[in-house]
This record gives sequence, structure tokens and C-alpha cells, in this order.
Amino acid sequence: MRGLARCAVLVAAVIAFAAVAAMADDMSVASGASDPGGTQEQQIREIRQELEFLERRVDQLENENGRLKKANAELQKNTQNLQKSTTQQISALQSQASESSSPQNFFDAMNRFLGRYRFTLVGGAAGSYIYDRNSNTNTFALDMEPIILWQLSDNLLFEGTVEANLPAGGSADFQLPVADFQYFLNDYAELVMGIFDQPFGDWYEDQSPFWVNRFVTAPLPFNVNPLIPPTEIGVQLRGGFQWGEMGQVADYTVWSGNGPGYSNSTCGANTPPSPLPTCPSTAFVGDTLVGVNNIKLNTHTPSFGGRFRIYPLPADSDWGRLELGVSTYDGKWENGLWLTSWGVDFNYFRDNLQMRGEWIESYRQMPAGLGSDNRQGWYVQAGYFLTGLKAPLIPSAANQYIDRLEPLIRYSGINQRAAVLGNIITTPEIGFTGSPALYAPHAREVALGLDYWFAPSVVWQNELDLELPRAGGFYSDTGAPVGAYPNDRAFVSQFAVGF
Amino acid sequence: MKRKIKIGIAAAVAAAALAAFGGGTVRAANDLTPAQQKRQMFRRGAELWPIYCNTCHNARPGGEFSPTEWNMILMHMRTQANLPPQDANAILEYLKASR
Repeated sequence: MRGLARCAVLVAAVIAFAAVAAMADDMSVASGASDPGGTQEQQIREIRQELEFLERRVDQLENENGRLKKANAELQKNTQNLQKSTTQQISALQSQASESSSPQNFFDAMNRFLGRYRFTLVGGAAGSYIYDRNSNTNTFALDMEPIILWQLSDNLLFEGTVEANLPAGGSADFQLPVADFQYFLNDYAELVMGIFDQPFGDWYEDQSPFWVNRFVTAPLPFNVNPLIPPTEIGVQLRGGFQWGEMGQVADYTVWSGNGPGYSNSTCGANTPPSPLPTCPSTAFVGDTLVGVNNIKLNTHTPSFGGRFRIYPLPADSDWGRLELGVSTYDGKWENGLWLTSWGVDFNYFRDNLQMRGEWIESYRQMPAGLGSDNRQGWYVQAGYFLTGLKAPLIPSAANQYIDRLEPLIRYSGINQRAAVLGNIITTPEIGFTGSPALYAPHAREVALGLDYWFAPSVVWQNELDLELPRAGGFYSDTGAPVGAYPNDRAFVSQFAVGF
Repeated sequence: MKRKIKIGIAAAVAAAALAAFGGGTVRAANDLTPAQQKRQMFRRGAELWPIYCNTCHNARPGGEFSPTEWNMILMHMRTQANLPPQDANAILEYLKASR
């Protein structure tokens, strides 16, 4: 660039020089050439001076241009630095703004404020209406079961359940079915100490809460006179592990506790059925298993129990979810006299269908002179959500209600030869403590249900209990057959919430 | 009766041994970044949540409880249902993140 400028200046100078020379020739001719040599030299000097001046001027301009370029480069550099720092600052501010407003940050801040380990309240409540034809029962009942969970460390949790109910025809009743510490020893073993739901089978632990049980009442083997104690005080070791594909898991529970307890026959302290039996001269020893709160000083050897459960189907298969379980529970109910029991259970669900069932067998050694106490109990139930079922001829507006319905059916039965009058509840109740079927020692019951689900844990349940004409056996008080109410009907409606 | 107790103890020991070895079938993806591991757990939890929960009761959505409450509830459910730890953690991650 600089060379071109210089070249241009020189060309201009040469042209100027030629022009001046030509003019000088003309002038010399015109003046008569008095001193032609001196005049030309003078002109040449002037031109040279002019050229030198122009060269200096070009140098000055080039220098100035260089300085300007340098200044411009510095300015550009400064601008880039400024842009870079501004971008960094904006990025930092954006990051700060997004971090401080994220749910995780809010959660962390709340935790710092409230403390990491706290308690929470879950559980359920239910209000029910009960009608029973034979006993002319027509009443309401209320039940509430709050569960307090208190996390004491990353591995330790306390669980306490209080059950409060206002049974039909009775005053308020309070029980403490669960109060235990749960300590995770490692990923595959956990220690549970305290009062806990009996881990035998699926019912007591997993199916008894109001909103979890699809029906209002419990199936007969877990009802008024259960075959296995509903709760136990003692210690458990339990855990689960994956053995195959995702969802193919198995789990185990072993436990030891105070053991089963039986109440004595109290013939006369009840409302007897008709025909009125005659009380025996000597009451049986321990006829009926003690119910929910099996908490008393037991001087016999502790009881032992074991449960193993397996889920053979992979989670991502289209075969549904199948659970198979086996359980055993054994303990002395009196010195030298054992209760031995075992059970099998299954649970299967796929899409809208759910089925489950259990079988329990128990054998109780009796004192000399009394017959053995061998009991069986079972139930099988099925339910089907009508979700997605577009019924023909029904307005589409009605389908949104039909979607929330779940029709159910359950068949359950017990053979319980040692039922005594004093422990037979003649009014059906919800939860653990009631079914009209217990009027009959050999009960068979069909329960038809229709649930309407407002939300996953809010349900209105309706149940019709049909006692099959299979009553028989005997009350152990009398040792003689007593006609029960084989064709009783009961209707129970319940609004249950899980919170 | 003693025989039954022995059988019970043997079954427990066998279950514990199976747990110790069976647990090895699930391997941690150590080559993933923490964010990738979290995303993987979320996906696994989303798949397992309806299956495990619906086994006993209707599955309840993550928005029903706070993350701290879910921590306690999942500890409780690990006991109730003997959930394997990897699956319980994945379900917990899903429930907390899907609120």
C-alpha cells in the first residue's frame, strides 16, 4: 500500500516535471534565452525541493496512518475483551438466577431450615354404613388409622400406628397395632424391632389398610376370629433382592415374637344366638385367638415365623405381575402346646385385572382330653377396573364415571371348630373385626363389591355379603352343633381415604 | 418342631446368601456421569413405579408428597414390600423428580 502511494507520488512528480520542462522551453524561446542555463537549474532545484517536501509529507501521512491502525487494533482488542467479560457476567448471572429458583435449591434451602430428619403423617380414615338383615343392624361407624413415620437417620425409621374407631353399638376403641424401629443393616437386610403386623401372608402387612383393601370387610380367615395373630411383638430380619431381569425379585422375612395368645371361653358374656346353647360346666382353655393387640406377657417359648416371596415375571414383559409366597408361623400357646401353621398366597395383576388369594392351615395341640384344633381358612378375590371400557349405548359423558368403577368378587371360607360364643361378634364391622359370616363356625361367604375411585387413595366402596347355606359344626362352648345364620345378608358402604 | 425351626433357619440363611450373590446381577453404571446416572434412575423408576406400587395398592403420583416425605415413605415401603434397594432408589428418584 505504502509502495503504491510512493509510486503514485513519483509518477505525479515526473508528469509535473515534464510539464514544467515544457513550460520552461516555451518561456526560454519567448524570452530570447538571455540566461537559459541558470533559469533551468533554478527551476529544477525548486522542483526537487517540491519533490522532497512531498516525500516528507507522504512519510508523515504514512506514519500517521500507522498510528491510527495501531490505535484501531487496540480498540478492537479492548472491545473484544469487554464483550467476553460481559458474556461471562451474563452467563454467571443467568446460572445464579436459575439455580436459586430451581425446585431442588428450594428443597435444599427448606431442608436446611427445617432440619433433615423429620416425621410425616400418613395412614387412612373411613366412615361406613352397615346394614345386616339378621341382627337388624342399621348404623354408621367410623375408623381412623394414622401412621407416624419418623426418620431418625439415613438407616433408621420409626413407625407408629394408632387405630381409633367408633364401632357400631360400642364406645370409642383404641389400639396400637404397630410401633417399631426399622433399621437397614445393608442393602439386603433390615432389622425390625417392636410391635408389627404379622408378616404371615399378604393380608396383615399389605392389604389391611382401608383404602388398600378393595373390600370393606376382611376375608374370613383374617376377620373376627383370625387363624394367625394379626400382630406380634418381637424382632424381624427381612430384605429383598433382584435375581433376574428387572422386576424379577424375591424377598424373605424371618421373625421371632411373643407367640400366640388365646382367650378363654366366657360363655354367657355375650348375646347368644338362637337357639340358646347350654354353657358347659368347664370352659375350654383358650378357645379363640386373641385379636389385633396380641400384647401380653408370654412366658412360653417365643414364636418363630418365616416368609418367602418371589416375583417370577420380568417387569417389562407383557405377562403382568405375579407374586407367589409361602409362610409359616409356629409358637407355644401354652406350656408344651404348640400352634403350628403354614400358608401359601398369590397375587396377579395385569392391566385392569387384579387377583389374589391365600390358603392357611393351622394345627393347635390341645390339653389332654380335648380334641385337636385343626383350622383352615382361604379366600380368593378378583377385581377389574372399567377404565378405558367404552360401553356401547351409553352417553360419552357417563363414561368418565364408568372409568372410575371397579367391580369385585371374593369367596372366602373358614373351618374353625373352636369358635366360642364369647368371641363371636354379632354385628358386622369394618376392618379386622367383623363379618356376619362369623356366626357360623364353618362359614362360606361370597362378597360382591363395587368401588368408585375418586383418586388413587380416595374410594367409595360398596359391599354385599352373602352367607352361603353351609353353616354347621359346633361352638366349642357346647360341643354341639348350633344352627347359625347361613343365609344372612349384609350390606356395607364405606368412604375411605388414604393420606 | 425343632426340625421345622431348622428348616426355617436354613431357608433364611439361603435367602441371605442368595441376596448377597443375587445383588450382583445389578451393576452400577460407573462409566456414566452423575447426571446420566440420575436420568437412568429416573427412567427405571418411571417404569417400576406403577408395577411395584400397583402390586398392593393404586400407585400414588409424586406430587402428593414432598421429597422429604417421599424419603420416609419409601423407607417405610421398603420394609412393607421388601423392595430391592436399586429399585426402591429408582422409584424414589422418579417420585421426587416428577412432582
